Amino acid sequence: MKKGDKIVLMTVLALLVVSFLSVIIYRISYKGKALNAKIIQNQKVLVEVDLEKIDEPKEWMVKGEEGHYNIIRVEKGRIRFIEANCPDLVCVHTGWLSQPGDIAVCMPHNVLVKIEGEKEELDEISY
Amino acid sequence: MNKTKKMVFLSLLVGMAVVIHIIEGQIPVLFPGVKLGLANIISLFALLVLGWKEALVIVVLRTIISSIYGGGFSVFLFSIVGGLLSNIVMIILYKFFKDGISISSISVCGAIFHNIGQLFVAAVYIQDFKIYIYLPVLLISGVITGFFVGVSVKFLCYHFKDMFAKERRRDDL
Repeated sequence: MKKGDKIVLMTVLALLVVSFLSVIIYRISYKGKALNAKIIQNQKVLVEVDLEKIDEPKEWMVKGEEGHYNIIRVEKGRIRFIEANCPDLVCVHTGWLSQPGDIAVCMPHNVLVKIEGEKEELDEISY
Repeated sequence: MNKTKKMVFLSLLVGMAVVIHIIEGQIPVLFPGVKLGLANIISLFALLVLGWKEALVIVVLRTIISSIYGGGFSVFLFSIVGGLLSNIVMIILYKFFKDGISISSISVCGAIFHNIGQLFVAAVYIQDFKIYIYLPVLLISGVITGFFVGVSVKFLCYHFKDMFAKERRRDDL
């Protein structure tokens, strides 16, 4: 092992530790909050649901330009992409999202689903 | 190598990189968004045997051609930023720290910066930096795939050494 390899190894390990720690802190800071899922297309929120209040499974079809579509399924406490016609299908392979802070993205169609801890702004106004 | 030979060799490498890129897109992986980065073999090989300009040319051409075959503008943007960032990092490491660093480490750094660059584009594109929660997984996969890419490049260079030696002898005559 050369000297440069050791430096690379140390840097990579440090980066790994820092990124793992920040993800863990991020998860803890969201823990215990309500499961509010948002479906966002082109930076606009299309649907916002509370996952714990879903009793029957529900599906949405998000349509984009040029026949692009993504189908999103919601069940009690979880949400996922189940079908899409994008080339890489990363969104579908991400699988179920069930924890606050989870995020699934379909880059080619600019659609994302994320779970947030709470509803923004509105709750604070109602106090 | 004379000009024509170099051009043909470059085009062959670009062709190989495109084919590898397309094939690796079909290989299923454990985690979404993770890629094997096999096309990096060609870029790193070009950097070692031809030079940094040629390596950059190969990355740009490979990205343009493969996004014509599959994907679109967003995919193009996504992979060109990752590809350029990773290549620039590898070029800097190779040019300035060649003696103190092994090929595998260079390729690991390249793979990691590829992932960081791609996540950055994705974060800007969807305007949500929370996507960086994928970073730890991508870092680990970058280390593993980068290491194996480095090993393959070492083998490739070893077997090409004879070819270049012959080439030089022919040029001398």
